[in-house]
Amino acid sequence: MTGIRKRVTIGFLSIVTLLFVSGMISLFELGQLSNDAEMLMSKNRRNMELAKDMFEAMYLQSNAMAHIAVLGERDGYDTLCLNGLVRLETSLTAAYDNSKSNGYLDSLTLSVAELRMLTETFLANVRDENAGTEDENALTAAAARNWFSTRYETSMAKISEQISGYIAFTYKGLAPRAEQLSRNAYRAVTPVLISLLVMIAIVLMLFYFVMIYCVNPVLGINRGLADYLSFKLPFAVKQECRDELQELKENIETLINISKQNKA
Amino acid sequence: MRFNVILRYAGMVMLYVAAFMLVSAAISFIDGMDSAFYPLILSALLTALLGGFPLLFVPKIEQISNKEGFCIVVGAWVMACIVGTFPYLIWGGEFSVINAWFESVSGFTTTGATVLNDIEALPKGLLFWRSSTAWMGGIGVVMFALVILPSLGKTKMTLSNVELSSLAKDNYRYRTQQIVQILLVVYFGLTCISTLLLKFAGMGWFDALNHAMSACATCGLGTKNSSIAFYDSAVIETILAVTMTIAGIHFGLIYATVVGKSKNIFRSEVTRAYFAVIAVGGLLVSASLYVSGVYPDILSSLRYGYFQFVSLLTTTGFATANTNLWPSLAVMVLIFASVVCACAGSTSGGVKIDRMLLFGKLVKARLRRQQHPNAVIRIKVDGIIQDDEALGSVMIFIVTYIALIVVGATVNTVFGLDLQTSITEPIACIGNVGPGFGAVGSLDNYSSLPVIIKLNSTLLMLMGRLEIFGFIQLFFMKWWR
Repeated sequence: MTGIRKRVTIGFLSIVTLLFVSGMISLFELGQLSNDAEMLMSKNRRNMELAKDMFEAMYLQSNAMAHIAVLGERDGYDTLCLNGLVRLETSLTAAYDNSKSNGYLDSLTLSVAELRMLTETFLANVRDENAGTEDENALTAAAARNWFSTRYETSMAKISEQISGYIAFTYKGLAPRAEQLSRNAYRAVTPVLISLLVMIAIVLMLFYFVMIYCVNPVLGINRGLADYLSFKLPFAVKQECRDELQELKENIETLINISKQNKA
Repeated sequence: MRFNVILRYAGMVMLYVAAFMLVSAAISFIDGMDSAFYPLILSALLTALLGGFPLLFVPKIEQISNKEGFCIVVGAWVMACIVGTFPYLIWGGEFSVINAWFESVSGFTTTGATVLNDIEALPKGLLFWRSSTAWMGGIGVVMFALVILPSLGKTKMTLSNVELSSLAKDNYRYRTQQIVQILLVVYFGLTCISTLLLKFAGMGWFDALNHAMSACATCGLGTKNSSIAFYDSAVIETILAVTMTIAGIHFGLIYATVVGKSKNIFRSEVTRAYFAVIAVGGLLVSASLYVSGVYPDILSSLRYGYFQFVSLLTTTGFATANTNLWPSLAVMVLIFASVVCACAGSTSGGVKIDRMLLFGKLVKARLRRQQHPNAVIRIKVDGIIQDDEALGSVMIFIVTYIALIVVGATVNTVFGLDLQTSITEPIACIGNVGPGFGAVGSLDNYSSLPVIIKLNSTLLMLMGRLEIFGFIQLFFMKWWR
């Protein structure tokens, strides 16, 4: 037990501390929540960009390959074709870095590796119309067209389907992550709510204690003093605490005794 | 009634709870600042503020009334359960408000029922907090407060009147301060010995401590999803079975036996009845398992049968097998164990062997009175004549207990639960046992139950822990003179 001033000060300091703690928790949790949401959005955006990049690389590669295999124009197109493949592989690596390993990316990697093998084998065997030399083992124009429309296009369709699957997976992945985010939001609010509830309990207790240990004794002393002065009733006030109010009561009693002695 | 006095003593209990939260946070810190650290520290801070605040204002009170004593005890239990939800709620995961309340009440009342589907997903700090609630509940939150209560004399006696059943107090023959010391020595000693034995039997330190705390509190909260079945070790099961059996005995008698007093476990009629129930009940369950072919050999039947019987009789609720798959006779005997439970003066709940013994003697006396209408028949327990008031209160307790089970079962059926679950769920909750049968079987949990049933279960747990009338009295304070 301490003096009134100290008790009331500690009471209010507790409330201020709780307010501060609640505020800090809100800031911290909401900051974290905002970061999570931002990270989720940026990851999703990046995945979309990468998927777009993959499609563009595929288009480049496919276009170059059409020139080589269908039109028989090799000049510069083989480099373009390989560049498209490299671009596809780079996007794929970036996609891995962005969203860790998942089933779609694993199968896509496998398909791209197959495509590279297919492309390299074709480029090594296709007849160069401009070279002027005849290679008996080289593919004929008809065989190249046939290869393009069967094996190459099948492979490209497969990759295209897998990229579409990857996009769908990215979208599907948003739902549980958004749900997790909403759970995190609930978690972020919970400590603040609990702190506020504790603060309300402390405010109610402070009000109750101030009433019974400060206000009521003062009112009692005042009533006792008024009764003594008006009706000469003895000054008998009950006090539970030994604090400044008890001292006040004792001082009043001493004063009354002195006043009685002076009158006598 | 002085509300400020109630706040002061309930606040002291809160400070103890906050201290255990800090210990759990320390475990979390040692575990590499796992995800429970921040929730536990914050909860400890809030609980300490809530508990310490009344101490600033309310002076030391020498005398408290019976009415105030009741309010302090019940208030402390309820407040402990409320602040016990803080770490769960702040941590999140599977803990919604209802789930956190259920888990907290289940811990503090030493019921050991859980709503968690994946216990192993909890960080170590939170697992230790769960076990701490059980351990605190076991010794009685108020018993803790009694140790540090600065006032002497009547204050302590008034509080212990609520905390200990009246039957338990008859046997003690010690002053209240000694009761507290005995409780602490026995409880702490049993926990330490059990931890060491479990460690040597192959558990890790953390699991050994948690299971020992849980077994001594006859709670049953473990650290594994499949409870004790996870370890599949006969040695561990034996250690736990012995710990549970000891924890189910009157603590004063354990102390008296250890210090070599004449009034000991082996001379007590109640304890002899307790051992007889264990021997016969365990044998019945084991025989039923063997005859039905659940286990291929007698040894396995005895191992699983006895463990499960002791686990339910002592209201612990650890599991080594799925009892839902057991034959009807075994299930019936286990339900009987969940109702009868262990001795008064232990950490277990339920009707208790003491009352069942008196009930049996009352029935016997009734039969004799019909044969000899003019005979004066005295009912004695351990040579002490029991007065009519004590006998009447035993009967009223048993009838009220059964009535509450019936009401609970009816509520369950209203919400569409099957009959087996409906009946065994209130038995498991009011007896502070934990597992029942059906949807709340030994290897299942309470997560699938509707919210209303979960709340009803927590009410039954609190009633059971506070010997029914201790809790009901709270709602009739106005008429208490």
